Amino acid sequence: MKKISLYILATVALVSLASCGKDFLEKAPKLQQSTEIQLATYDGLNSATLGAYYYLSSTGWYTGDRVVENEMRAGNGMKQAFKNSGRCTTGYNWQYTADATNTTMWAYCYYTVAMANNVIDNLEGKADGETVTDQDLNNLKAECLFLRAFAHFENVLVFGQPYTYVKANEASLTDAQKLGVPYVYHTDATARPARETVLNTYDYIVKDLLEAESIIDPKYVRSGVADKLGTVNIYTIQALLSRVYLYMGEWQKSADYATKVIDSGKFKMWTAKEWPDVWGADLGSGEIIFEVYGKISNGNNGSWDDISYLTNPEGYGDPVATPTLLGLYEATDVRLTDGFRTDAKKESGYFWTNKYPGKGDRSPNDVNNVPILRLSEMYLNRAEAILNGAVVAGVNGIDDLNMIPNNRGASAYAVLNKTNIKLERRKEFAWEGNYLNDLARWGDGVTRPATDFVLGTKNQNVEFPSYMWALPIPKRELDLNENLVPNPGYANTK
Amino acid sequence: MRKFKLFLASVAILLSGAAALAQNITVKGTVSDAAGEPIIAAGVVIDGTTKGTVTGANGEYTISVPANASLRFSSIGYKDQLIPVDGKAVINVTLTEDATKLEDAVIVAYGTVSKESLTGSVTTLKSDEIASAPVTSVDKMLAGKLAGVTVTQGSGQPGSTSTIRVRGTSSISAGNEPLWVVDGIPMMASDFRQLAAVGVGGGSSSTFLNPNDIESITVLKDAAAASIYGSRAANGVILVTTKSGKSGRAKFTARAKYGVQQLANDNNLRPLTGLEALEYKRTAVINAGKDPDDPTGSMYFPYTLLENGADNWYKELTKIGSIQEYEVNATGGSDKNSYYSSLAYHKNVGVYNFTDFERFTARVNADSQLTKSLKTGARVNLSYSNSHSPQMGGSYYINPQFAMWHPLPWHKIRNEDGSLNYDISEMSNNNPLGTANDDYNDKEYRLQGSSYIEWKIFPSLTFKTTNGVEFLFIESHQYWSPNGSKKGREATAFNIWTTDMRYTTSNTLTFDKAFGDHHVRVMGGQEAMTDTYKYIYGYSPGVDPLIPYPTTATAEKDQVDYNIVEETLQSFFGYAEYSFAHKYSIQATVRRDGSSLFGSANKWGTFYSFGGSWNIANEKFMKPISGAVSQAKLRASYGVNGNNNISAYRAYGIYATVQNLGAVGAAPSRPENPELSWEKNKTWNVGLDFGLFDDRITGSVDVYNRLTTDMLLATQVPYTTGFGSNTKNVGSIQNKGVELLLEGVLFRKGNFSWTAGFNIAFNRSLVLDLAGNEFLTMSDSRIDDSTSIRIKEGNSLYTFYLRNWAGVNPSNGDGLFWTEDGTLTNDRNKAEYIYVGSPEPKATGGFNTNITWKNWTLGAYFQFVAGNKVLTSNSYVDDGYSLTANTSNAALNYWKQPGDTGVTPKPVAQNPGVYHAGYSTRFLQDGSYLRIKDVTLSYDVPSKYTDAIKIKGARIYVSALNPYTFHNVTALDPEAGPLGNIEVGVHTAVKSLIGGVEISF
Repeated sequence: MKKISLYILATVALVSLASCGKDFLEKAPKLQQSTEIQLATYDGLNSATLGAYYYLSSTGWYTGDRVVENEMRAGNGMKQAFKNSGRCTTGYNWQYTADATNTTMWAYCYYTVAMANNVIDNLEGKADGETVTDQDLNNLKAECLFLRAFAHFENVLVFGQPYTYVKANEASLTDAQKLGVPYVYHTDATARPARETVLNTYDYIVKDLLEAESIIDPKYVRSGVADKLGTVNIYTIQALLSRVYLYMGEWQKSADYATKVIDSGKFKMWTAKEWPDVWGADLGSGEIIFEVYGKISNGNNGSWDDISYLTNPEGYGDPVATPTLLGLYEATDVRLTDGFRTDAKKESGYFWTNKYPGKGDRSPNDVNNVPILRLSEMYLNRAEAILNGAVVAGVNGIDDLNMIPNNRGASAYAVLNKTNIKLERRKEFAWEGNYLNDLARWGDGVTRPATDFVLGTKNQNVEFPSYMWALPIPKRELDLNENLVPNPGYANTK
Repeated sequence: MRKFKLFLASVAILLSGAAALAQNITVKGTVSDAAGEPIIAAGVVIDGTTKGTVTGANGEYTISVPANASLRFSSIGYKDQLIPVDGKAVINVTLTEDATKLEDAVIVAYGTVSKESLTGSVTTLKSDEIASAPVTSVDKMLAGKLAGVTVTQGSGQPGSTSTIRVRGTSSISAGNEPLWVVDGIPMMASDFRQLAAVGVGGGSSSTFLNPNDIESITVLKDAAAASIYGSRAANGVILVTTKSGKSGRAKFTARAKYGVQQLANDNNLRPLTGLEALEYKRTAVINAGKDPDDPTGSMYFPYTLLENGADNWYKELTKIGSIQEYEVNATGGSDKNSYYSSLAYHKNVGVYNFTDFERFTARVNADSQLTKSLKTGARVNLSYSNSHSPQMGGSYYINPQFAMWHPLPWHKIRNEDGSLNYDISEMSNNNPLGTANDDYNDKEYRLQGSSYIEWKIFPSLTFKTTNGVEFLFIESHQYWSPNGSKKGREATAFNIWTTDMRYTTSNTLTFDKAFGDHHVRVMGGQEAMTDTYKYIYGYSPGVDPLIPYPTTATAEKDQVDYNIVEETLQSFFGYAEYSFAHKYSIQATVRRDGSSLFGSANKWGTFYSFGGSWNIANEKFMKPISGAVSQAKLRASYGVNGNNNISAYRAYGIYATVQNLGAVGAAPSRPENPELSWEKNKTWNVGLDFGLFDDRITGSVDVYNRLTTDMLLATQVPYTTGFGSNTKNVGSIQNKGVELLLEGVLFRKGNFSWTAGFNIAFNRSLVLDLAGNEFLTMSDSRIDDSTSIRIKEGNSLYTFYLRNWAGVNPSNGDGLFWTEDGTLTNDRNKAEYIYVGSPEPKATGGFNTNITWKNWTLGAYFQFVAGNKVLTSNSYVDDGYSLTANTSNAALNYWKQPGDTGVTPKPVAQNPGVYHAGYSTRFLQDGSYLRIKDVTLSYDVPSKYTDAIKIKGARIYVSALNPYTFHNVTALDPEAGPLGNIEVGVHTAVKSLIGGVEISF
C-alpha cells in the first residue's frame, strides 16, 4: 500500500508539474505584434508611426474621392456619356443621405487618429538617453500630432459647416448647425465621443499643430521611406497651419506661417517649363511640401480605382473638366495646355485632368502621387491674408498673387482683390480637391450652367448657406454611438 | 475475484453435501460462448437450490447432482440456460449473449455506466457494426448509421476526410466539428495535410485509425452526455475505444482485401461527344446570326473539325482505381497481463491519374494487473500515410476533375505520334496528363499514445490517471515540373514541414457503490492540455528539374515562411449519479475550463448539466405487459456546454505590417478583445428508449432543442474606436429536432434470421439574433460566387440568396428572370434576388438489413438525405455562350421551337443574355438522394473445413460500396457539404467493388 501510494503520488506530481505553471493559460501570439508589444518599444512605435500614414493613400481619401468627389461637387468636374462607368455620381448631384454619405472619410479619419493616439499615449519612458533620445520621441509625437490634427481637419471639412460661417453666425445658428466632429484624444473601445462644435474642433486642430511645431526637431526627416515628402517635417506642420488659419479667417497667423514656409528656402516654384513634367514623377519636387506617395507596392493601392485610372480618358474616365473651368485659362497657360488631355482618338470633345497621368508603375491601372500642400498655396494664402489686413514686412500681396501666373505662362494681375484671388486659386488648384473648401469658406455657393451639368440629375446649383454644406453623419455611427447628433436638414437621420 | 467465488462455491457445496448424497451422479462438462471460447467462473447451480459450482480456467466444471435435477448455467452478460440432467454424465453448454440491451455497459465520458442509468442521448456502434463494412476510415462508416449524426464525404479522393455534424450546425464563425476522444484522450481537430486537397473537414485523427482496431464508438449528442467535456462539447463528442487484449492463448487474425473503384456517376452526366459538341456550337453560331461555315468569320465551326476524330476527355482523364488492405492482429495474455496488437497496410489508387493514398498503422494495447488494487496499461497507435495528387479542387486546367469537362472534343489529348498535345488554347495550352512529373505529396507521421494507472484505493474508490501524447509530423512536397503547359514553366518546389504536439493529462477519482437499492457514483477530475503547432514553408522557384530541391534554386529567389500557434487548456470537473431500485436515476455534471484562446476577462467558464431517467418497465404496474413492453425508459436532461473552436490569439489586439511610402510600417489589424469568450450551447433533450415483444423490436426517440447563444460574430463598432468591427459574443441560433432509431428481428427461425434497423433525424435551424447585422454571407473557398448563401434572422441557418430564374420563354427560347416588380425580363442584371431554399436537409438517416442463413450473411446499408437544396455548377450548361469550351449532355435539352417548355435556353454563341453566369435559382436543385452505401455478402467457412486446416475460423466476403445512388441532381454525385455547393472542380464520390478474406488462428 505504501509503495502504491508513493508511486501514484510521484506520477501525479510529475504530470501536474507540466500543467500547473502560473502562466499556463497565457499564450500570446509570437509572430504578430500584439498591440501591447508593438507599442512597448521605440522601434515598434516608430513603425506604428509610419503605419499611421497608411490610409492617406487610399482611394477613399487622397488617391481618389478626396480629390475627385470635391471637384465634382464644386463645378470643376462633370459627367458625360462618352465615358460613363457609373462612378462619381453621388458627389456630382450632392445626393447625400445618412446611408450614402462620405462614411469612408469618417472611418479613415478615426483609423488614423487611433493609430496616432496609440503612439502618443505610449511614448512616455521609452527614451534611454543613448540610442533613443527625448527628441526622437518628440519627433514621433510631432508626426502623430500632425496626423491627428490633419485627420480631424479633413473630417470637419466634410461633416461641419465652414468655420468662418459658424463663427460669424454663432448667435443665430442652432446647436446642431454649429457641430463639427468628435475630437478623439485617446482612442478607447468603450468611448462614445460626442461631436465638438466646429469652433472647438478647429481650436483643437490648431493646438495639436502648434505643439507639433514646438517639439519637432527642425531638421527631422523620417528615414527609411522612399518619399520623404510623404511624411511630416516642420514645414509640413507650418504649411498646414497656414491653411487652417486661412480657413479660420485668422489672416495674420496664416500669412506668418506661409512666410515661414516660403522663407525656409526648401521649396521652389515650378516654372512653366518644368510644370508639365512634375505630375507623373515618382517623387515630388519643387513646390511639393506634402504629398501622398502612390506606388503599386502600397498595401492599399487602389488598382483600377486609383485616381490615375479614374481620370484617364482611356480608363474609367467618368470625370471630365467642365467647360467653365477650361474657359478660365488663357491659351498660353501651361495649366491649360498641359494640365488637360483628351481621349486618344480625339473624338469625345472632352478634357480630362492631366495631373494624374500615372508614374509608369503598371499599365493600364497605374498609380500617381497626389499633392496635399504646395508652395503656390503658401503664396496665395499670404496674398489673401494680406488682402484681408495681414501685414508681412517686405511682402507685397500682389507679388504673391502674381507669383503664380508668372510661373504658368499666364498674364499677371493688375490688382489684388477677392475676385482675382478666387480665380487664381480655382485655376491653380483645379483637380487637387480644394476648390470646394474655398467656396465654402468664402460663402459662395455652387452655380453650374447646363453645359457644366451633363447627365446631372439634381442640385445643379447649391446655394450658401445651406444645410448641404455639412454632409450627413453616417447612419451606422449614429446607430452605434448614442452621443452623436445628426446634421440637420437630412431626412431619416436618426 | 475468481478465487473468491470458487471459495464461496466450495463452501456452499461442502455445507449442502450431506443432503445431496443419496442418488447423486457426477456430471462434467464445459461452458463456452458462441465463439467457442471457454467462459471462466460461470455459475453451475442445481435449479431450485443454492447448491452449485463455478467453472474453472478452461470453462470446465464437475458437479455431483441428483439424476433427475436440472442445472442452471449462468454468467454475467449471458442468458441463463436451464438443462435437465436426465442421467447424462457430460453436459457441454454454449451460453448466448444477453440481448437485454438496458443492462449493457455503455462507454461514456470518463468511464462506463449501465445503459439503465443513462440520462443523456448517446448512440453506440459496436465493433461488429464497425468492422463489417470494408470502409477505409472510421468517419466514413458513421454515415447513415447514427440518428442525428450527418457525415458528408467532402471528396472522393483517396485519404480524404469527412464533415461531421451532430444535430445540425450550431455556429457561424466557430467550428462545428465534434470532439473526438480516443481512449480517453481528446484528439487534434484539424487535418494538417497541406497539399493533397483532402482535408475538407474534421475527423482527421480518425483517418489514421485502423477501423478494425476499434471496439466501440459512442456518440454523445446532448448536454447531459457531453457537457462534462465543457468548452469543447457543443458539437457533440465521439468517444472511440480501441480493443483491449483478451486473456487466453494468443489468437491471431489476418485480413486481406482487394477491390476496384470508379467515379460514381449514376445519372450519366458526361461531356458532349465530338459530333454533339460540334452541332451544338453550330446551332449556337447560327442562332447568333453567323455562318459556322464561313472561314473568314470569327465563329468558324465546319464539320471538317472532326476529320481526325474526337476524344472523350472524361474517359481519358479517369480510370479504374484500386483499393487493397492487409492486416494482421494478435490478442492474448495471462490472467494478469493482456495485449492486443495489430499491423495494417492500406493502399488506394485513385480514379484520376496521379492520385493515391497509402497508410500503415501499428497498434499495441497492453494492460497489466500489477497488484490486486493496481492496474496499468498503454494504448499506442503509430501511423504513416502518404498521399499524392495532381493539383485538385479548383478551376485549374491541370485539375482533371475540371479539365474533363472543358476542352473541345476535337482537341486531342495526344498527338498522332503519341506525345501529349499541348496546343489547346481553351486550356491555356495545358494538358492535365502533362503533370505526371508534378507532385502534391503529403507524408504524415502520427503517434497517438496514452498510458494509464488505475488504483482501487478501496473497492468503491478508484483513482485513475491517464496521460496522452499526440505527435504529428507532416512533410509536404509540391513540385511544378517544367512541362504541363505549351510554353513551359519554371520548375518550382515548395516544401512544407508541419508539426503539432499535444500533451494531455487526465486524472479522476471515482466513488462507485451500491447500498441495497441505492447506487451512487461520484467522480471528480482534473485535466490539462497543451498543444503547439509549427509550420515552416520554403518556396524555391527555378529549381533544376533533375534535382528538384531548394538547393538548386538561387538564394535570392528562395522564400521562407513560418508559423507557430500555442494553445493550452486547464480543467476541473465533476460528475454525480444516483439511482434507486433500477427505476430512477438522476445525474449532474459540472466542468470548469480555462483556455488560452480567450480574453483575460473570460479565461474561465463553467458548464453543467442535469439529467434524470425513469425506467418504467421496471415498475410493478408494467409487469402484466412485460412481454409486449420489455423495455421502457424515459430520459430528460438539460445542460450548457461550450464551443471553443476558434483560432488562437483572437483576444489579442494585433498590429500587422503594412506597406506604405515604399517602406514597411505597422498598423492595427484587429482590436483587443479581453471579453472574448465561449459560444454557449444550451440543450434540453427528452428521450424514450423502448423494447417491444421481448425485445424483438428496440429503439429510441429523442426530441431536443439546442440553443446557441453568445455566438462569436463580427459586430459593428463606431469608427471612433479605431475599428469598424470587433468579434464579440453576441447573436444566437437554434437547432431543434426529433430523432428515431428502430432495430428489430423481423424473422428468425432455425438457422435463418432477418434483422433490420432504421434511423431518421429531423433537424431545423433558425437564426434568432445576428446582433444588428441585416445578414451575413458565408464564404466557401471552393466556389467562385461565395455569397450565394446568406444568414438572416428568421431564416434557417443557411439560405440561398440568388437571382430569381423564371425559366425559358417558350416563344423565343430566351432565358427569363423575375424582376422586383413582378415582371419578366431577359436581362439578368434586372433580375431580383430572393431568399430561396436551404441546403439543410429536412431529414437524414439510414436503414440496414441483414439476412443470415446458415453460414451466409447478406447485409445492406442505405443512407438518405431528403429535402435539401443544392446549388450545382453552371459549368455543365452554358447556353452556347462559350465558343471555346465544351459543355455537358445536360445542355442538349434546349429550346428548339416555339412552345418548347422544360428546356434550357436556345443556345446562342456569346449569348448576350449570359443566363448561365453568376448564380440564379436555375441552378438550385432538390438535393435529396438515397444511396446504397454498402452491400456485403459474406460466408463463414464451416468449422469442419477450418478444423481440417487447423485454423479457428475463416470468412470470405464481397462488398459493393456506393454501388448506386438515386438522385436528380445535375452533378456526378449529389453529396454536398453543409453549404450545399457542388462545384465542378471537386472530386466527387467513387464506387467500389471489394472482395476480402479474414482468417483467425
